[in-house]
Amino acid sequence: MSKIVSILEDIKPGIDYENCKELIDGHYLDSLSIISLIAELEDEFDITIPAIEIVPANFNSVEQMAAMVERLQEE
Amino acid sequence: MRLSGFLGAGSATSMTSFFSWTFFMVFIPLCVISYTLVPNKLKKYHLLLASYVFYWLVSGELIIYLLLSTVSIRCFGLWLDRMQSKMKSTFSTVPKEKKKETKKRYIKKQRLIILLAVFLHIGGLLFLKYSAFFTFNINKLFEHFNIPVVLAIPRYLLPIGISFFTLQALSYILDVYHGVIKADRNIGRLALFLGFFPQIVEGPICRYSQTAEQLWNAGPVKYENLTFGLQRFLFGMLKKLVIADRLSPIVIEIFDKYNEYSGAIIALGAVSYTIQLYMDFSGSMDAVIGIAQIFGIRMPENFERPFFSRSISEFWKRWHITLGTWLKDYLFYPIVTAGKMKKLTASARKKIGNHFGPLLAGSIALFCVWFCNGLWHGSGWNYIFFGMYHLVLILSGSAITPAVNKINNQLHINADSFLYRLMQMVRTSVLVVIGELFFRANGLRNGFAMFGKMVTGLLPSLPDKQGLINVLIRTGRNSKDLIIVAVTLAAVFAVSVLNEKRISVRDELAKRKILIRWAVFYLLIVYIIIFGAYGAGYKPIDPLYAQF
Repeated sequence: MSKIVSILEDIKPGIDYENCKELIDGHYLDSLSIISLIAELEDEFDITIPAIEIVPANFNSVEQMAAMVERLQEE
Repeated sequence: MRLSGFLGAGSATSMTSFFSWTFFMVFIPLCVISYTLVPNKLKKYHLLLASYVFYWLVSGELIIYLLLSTVSIRCFGLWLDRMQSKMKSTFSTVPKEKKKETKKRYIKKQRLIILLAVFLHIGGLLFLKYSAFFTFNINKLFEHFNIPVVLAIPRYLLPIGISFFTLQALSYILDVYHGVIKADRNIGRLALFLGFFPQIVEGPICRYSQTAEQLWNAGPVKYENLTFGLQRFLFGMLKKLVIADRLSPIVIEIFDKYNEYSGAIIALGAVSYTIQLYMDFSGSMDAVIGIAQIFGIRMPENFERPFFSRSISEFWKRWHITLGTWLKDYLFYPIVTAGKMKKLTASARKKIGNHFGPLLAGSIALFCVWFCNGLWHGSGWNYIFFGMYHLVLILSGSAITPAVNKINNQLHINADSFLYRLMQMVRTSVLVVIGELFFRANGLRNGFAMFGKMVTGLLPSLPDKQGLINVLIRTGRNSKDLIIVAVTLAAVFAVSVLNEKRISVRDELAKRKILIRWAVFYLLIVYIIIFGAYGAGYKPIDPLYAQF
């Protein structure tokens, strides 16, 4: 979780990532931030994130991102 | 007889749907009353029948395209499903080391199916909607290179809503391919998902997972849904009939005869068109969502108060949301997550950093998105220019963000202060108005001419009272029209401000006494009847997005 928060702060600082639950729906992260985020997550956790996984339900909060990463690592 | 025939509103492709008296005084009441009378088990068939009757009334024999699309997505869905089942059963029998290869083989087969589906659906749309545009430009090229060939420009009748239901059809097939949904064997459910009558003309562009089950399981009309749905429908009517349609003649006059007006009046035309388009399209969406709610169906929202956006990027998350998310999910993300693009992103990040690297890679995907967005709206260079204009604004906005943040930090500017946010909203709105000027102009050449005249002539010609008087006289309007538009706009703006603060006017109203609730309800109806732009001197105006 803390790794994901630090990646997010690098990409777009100034957002309370630990508490925000609507990073996508609340328009905090735009498409270009998502591209950076995907690249960073893939590098950091050695996973491949397909387009189908890029849905608000996977990116609205840090917890959701962590769950997606864990799931993709298991696959 | 077609609905358009009742109203004398043009050809088979030009009809008045949601805002025709025939539609809401005859079709909708008949539909709701008969819907309540049929047994629950048959309600879904009633909705399907009503949808096809509606489509037949507005499009006649062109209904064949809707039927073909429905049959096509059923076949493609089941074909993909069969392939996926085969893959699973083969998977369980092959040794572990061969699983990857087997999966690759089946994915390749599924991709071929998808390619064929895209070719048929998008190909059909391109053929019907863009043949004339492509042929015209090929002829221009021949002329430029002195090739003595002139191709006949084809003219096809365009089925109403084809741009919308084609995207819905493709989203269904792609969702089956991605495993988001299971292929549906029930052709009735697919037909209703694709052809549900309120949404087929202008959207919203729904996903199968959002509406198919709801529609097929539609239950009895409930009091709360009926009142909330009617309120939303009336609010849409207020936007469309009182504001958009009242502005329409003024917009037509200024855009058609811009040579006769000053820069200030052209600016007024651009602002009026932006308001007209927003009120027309969002009003139509209110009507669609309201009608659907009467039947207990929750449609996705297509607008989220776009003029409160602080950047163009945010604007497009709040304007025509379902088109934006469609392009993002089925075009943008598949492109940026493709193998080669990921490699490009990684290498660009190493060379030009974490901000500009993804921006460079993203710009390729964004180019595709905005080219398609522009072209989707219509077959004209001004639409393509409109797409490219927004692409440039989004990319440049993103490129300068780090520098702007740095300057703000150094100058201790609070980017969340009201004034700063207001300035951002005004800037975004001005940029949107300029884009809409090109979008509405009668061709790209006229767009540039209008823009040039507006920029160079705006300040010297302010305030052009005589120009405004001329517009009003030529369109048969007067200052009362402007006052009605201004007062109604102020009311809509007040509702938007409350919604932006997460205060639901409808919920607040529902808490009041029945007398107050019904007084507001009747007031709204009376206001629309008195101030709506219809009757003598007004032609019924098609919803603007129906032509796209």
